[in-house]
Amino acid sequence: MILGVDVGGTFTDAALLTGDRLVTGKSPTTPGDQSEGVMDAVTEALESAGAAAGDVRRFVHGMTVGTNALLEGRVARTALLATEGFTDLEELGRQARPELYRLCAGHPPPLVPAELRVAVPERSGPDGVLRELDEEALRRALADIDVEAMAVCLLWGFLHPGHERRVAELADEELPGVHVSTSHETAGVFREYERCATTVVDAALSPLLRGYLERLTERARDAGLPEPEVMLSSGGTAAAASAARHGSWTVLSGPAGGAVGAARMSAATGAGDAVGLDMGGTSCDVSVAFGGLAAVGAGRQVGGRALALPMVDVHTVGAGGGSIAWRDAGGALRVGPQSAGAEPGPASYGRGGELPTVTDANLLLGYLDAESPLAGGVELDRGAAERAVGDLGDELGLALDQTASGIARVASAEMAQAVRVVTVERGIDPRDMALVAFGGAGPLHAAQIADELGMRRVVVPNASGVLSALGLVVSERRRDLVESVLLAGDRLTRENVAAVVRRLGERGREELGEADAELRAGYDLRYAGQAFELTIPGELEPDPGELRRAFDRAHDDRYGYADPEAALELVTVRVAVALPGEDLRPAEAAAAEKRGTRRVRFGDEMRDATVLGAGEAAVDGPAIFELPGSTLVVPPGWRAQASADAVSVELT
Amino acid sequence: MSDLDPITLQVMLGALRAACDEMGAVLVRSAHSANIKERRDASTALFDAEGEMVIQAEHIPVHLGAMPSAVAAVLGEEHRPGDAWVLNDPYRGGTHLPDITVISPLFWESELVGFAASRAHHADVGAKEPGSMPADSRTLDDEGVVIPPTRLTMDVLHDLARRMRNPSQREADLRAQLAAGRTGAERVEALIERFGLETVRAGMRETLDYAERRTRARIAELEDGGREARDVLEAAGDLDLELRLRATVAGEEIALDFTGSAAQHEGNLNCPLPVTLSACYFALRVLTDPDVPPCAGAYRPLTVTAPEGSILNARPPAAVAAGNVETSSRVADLVLAAFGRALGQGTMNNVTLGNDDFTYYETIGGGQGACPDADGPSAVHVAMSNTLNTPVEALELEFPLRAVEYAVRRGSGGAGRHRGGDGVVRELEARADMRYSLLTERRRHPPPGADGGRPGAPGRNLLDGRMELPAKASGTLRAGERLRIETPGGGGHGKD
Repeated sequence: MILGVDVGGTFTDAALLTGDRLVTGKSPTTPGDQSEGVMDAVTEALESAGAAAGDVRRFVHGMTVGTNALLEGRVARTALLATEGFTDLEELGRQARPELYRLCAGHPPPLVPAELRVAVPERSGPDGVLRELDEEALRRALADIDVEAMAVCLLWGFLHPGHERRVAELADEELPGVHVSTSHETAGVFREYERCATTVVDAALSPLLRGYLERLTERARDAGLPEPEVMLSSGGTAAAASAARHGSWTVLSGPAGGAVGAARMSAATGAGDAVGLDMGGTSCDVSVAFGGLAAVGAGRQVGGRALALPMVDVHTVGAGGGSIAWRDAGGALRVGPQSAGAEPGPASYGRGGELPTVTDANLLLGYLDAESPLAGGVELDRGAAERAVGDLGDELGLALDQTASGIARVASAEMAQAVRVVTVERGIDPRDMALVAFGGAGPLHAAQIADELGMRRVVVPNASGVLSALGLVVSERRRDLVESVLLAGDRLTRENVAAVVRRLGERGREELGEADAELRAGYDLRYAGQAFELTIPGELEPDPGELRRAFDRAHDDRYGYADPEAALELVTVRVAVALPGEDLRPAEAAAAEKRGTRRVRFGDEMRDATVLGAGEAAVDGPAIFELPGSTLVVPPGWRAQASADAVSVELT
Repeated sequence: MSDLDPITLQVMLGALRAACDEMGAVLVRSAHSANIKERRDASTALFDAEGEMVIQAEHIPVHLGAMPSAVAAVLGEEHRPGDAWVLNDPYRGGTHLPDITVISPLFWESELVGFAASRAHHADVGAKEPGSMPADSRTLDDEGVVIPPTRLTMDVLHDLARRMRNPSQREADLRAQLAAGRTGAERVEALIERFGLETVRAGMRETLDYAERRTRARIAELEDGGREARDVLEAAGDLDLELRLRATVAGEEIALDFTGSAAQHEGNLNCPLPVTLSACYFALRVLTDPDVPPCAGAYRPLTVTAPEGSILNARPPAAVAAGNVETSSRVADLVLAAFGRALGQGTMNNVTLGNDDFTYYETIGGGQGACPDADGPSAVHVAMSNTLNTPVEALELEFPLRAVEYAVRRGSGGAGRHRGGDGVVRELEARADMRYSLLTERRRHPPPGADGGRPGAPGRNLLDGRMELPAKASGTLRAGERLRIETPGGGGHGKD
């Protein structure tokens, strides 16, 4: 029996997989200490399943503790120990301003203030040490600082880590018990700013993460559950004790669960490559999956800070059910980025919200039903929605119905744009991919978004309300190790590369405590002189000629040309050490319950839509599926085929 | 009020923007040179059949005003399906020679419906010095190959590339621009298939009107009346060139008049008019609504006057290499200053190092001017550029250079109720003999503050820690010698 618990903005979801049966639990998120809500949801799920804590074999947790702390700046008091002359790396960034025309919109303030930056008297270059470490001077500099965490990032430390190791030892001697993150161990990659920023985030979050995960582990032990595993930003999981030592690993823990869930669901339903779309109350996360695996990038920014770590490639836009519709100064209808959030929420929640939102529009269009409460028991007030949307219609000179369908259409167009960012703009054609829609609001808009992008297939899991938690259940235990090696010319040999892979693999197996965990290798290659790399999957003992051909092909696919004459450089070696997760087995189901018909608006037309519950069915649109935790809209011209696990919707 | 309802307008606007962004993605993806791929010194745009710019995807503001003049330069020609045009002549639709524009006419059933254009900064266009950004050019011919508006056939493409350094890279970058044009054509055709020709035309017209309405609404909030500003450029030989502006707000319109600015000079700080326009458009966006779709409609309420033969509307054969990168910043400064803003570093600090074995070009960030309600950010590109730095580790791996210091220049931002941002210190040591060339500004005159705020510290260029170099300088750096650039801080806003 495997248990997954995902902490969202409003609700904490638990998913319990017992054989082919999925049991869920839901409880309000407890922002003060997320572990309280986690245990509440666990209790509920175990009770519904009639199971005991002792039956649970794996307990996997997706959380937002790190993300929230980073975005809100609630981090440990942290020092940065950096090569003399280069202590401002985190603040300097890459010198581009975040917004072209808002001149004072700065980057977020550095996590390490100027007075906590310590110059380390040392220097290495590409070929090794240039200036020996002055240990006594460093000890003096550390003598009177008062911090909770330290980050060590030295120039060329990823290639020549000796000084970083020694600095960490000295720091531990001078300030015993204070957390230390080193750049070669945390990120291990070429290019100092990204490595430094990652190491600083790692140090600044680690004390907080450790406190949280220790509390959770204790609660789990008290309840009779196994030691928790934590979802990492990369889409694999790690033991809580390992995750507690690296605050930077879990910054995208929450969205990673959803991306893994969407990827596995697309594979399980035979949909193949897919775009995952998780639309909730305030935001929409978009991801891409190939062959059942969530696409993973080599690094990205989170909250304006660089993180050079393997992370699921999730793009987030501020469009959700609570997004507010408004008229701008040029007279256009706009949706978001302002959101009514959970409080006061959409006008139809009847909690004091007066502004029209996407949820209000969906209610007026008949997609949502005032008679059936939403997840969490929220009842919808149609009159309040009419007043809010009607006021906006008056401003725009549009009828109520037109305004409502306009809000839904503009919101779908915003989300289609988010899909374009992770597909078209990266050279991926979404038209042959399936759109896996989930989250409370995703299935309402899925067909409209697919239509906008020329996609012909939508998949909505029956568990779409808890797909992130389900993603945790089926995820693999994994350790991702990354090391820049800068091998080129006659140093780029099978033996040299295999030695690095072997070393990283042994380290990963040791850390996982599994001597025969599977190893997968990826190689970040570039033509000499380029400032970016492409990751090419390869053998554990790769033949440089093979790598060369694979890289030329990948470069041609991605960038439209290959340069077989150019010198090749292996910048970074990536090794994933993994224990496979559970398979999703198709469940057995009864026929879907027919719940009558509902008047629903599609564009300018009113139609009678068949309303169905979850279960087996084949039906032509217009139809509505009321699934646990979400509502799927099947427009005219689309056909739905529903099984016990998911509804597939195809353009006819 | 308009031909389109507010919903179709918003959906169409999104679709046009997506088409333009995709052109940009294709260009960046299929180009070979680092300038385009990594620094993203490139822009794409869609135009209607009358040559009005409907939408632009710009990564750096210096391209804002430049695209419309390029399309205007070929508008009167005969266009056929499958044609493309190429140009870089600063006096016939271009800005400075490294920026090459490719324009593809768009057809629907043999009727001209618009143009797709792309502009990219090419790494070399065949000047005497590698990189085509000479510090001491005197005429346009010193700066590289001049391309008047020309039909871009494959023969022309090969011929142009052959006259520049690294011809295979030049050819690949030009082909990437052609591919971007084809993408624009495909996307516009798909839009017409989906919405119909008349709706797409209405969408283009309405996008222009919509941007105009939004801009007018914000200009109306500015106080009516005239304001003036003066500033200088630091030409070689301690010579200051004065620029003058009289800005007038009347209702929903702004007039910017640069009459009285210095005549064009013998160096390369001259601007063709499109560069001046780009800088004015940039300042207008900063002062009004930064989110208005970048299109011709947004600039309808703006009139710019720059006398012919002045440094801001130069005539051939004046050299222009630094006009685009340096004078443009000062033009934006004048407009911002006239409206009471403190100024940023006002220079891109262009540094070129090289010998027979390598060429290295970079620009360095500095202090932003404080805003009326916020401190200015430190160590950023402040105005017409916004490119990434070169990491120290990349620099040391690829070039015979070693970084000695890379740091925030503490205390260089001007004091005030809101502080100006601090500049940057970047010191490099040569590990082989090489030439250096510096195109910098704000070395003699600091970036002013506003409303009682103090100016930022002026920048400094130092050779081997001792010898101060002028704003424009070139010479030899011997192995072991160091070049230290201290970039200016931004001005403060308001009395402390």
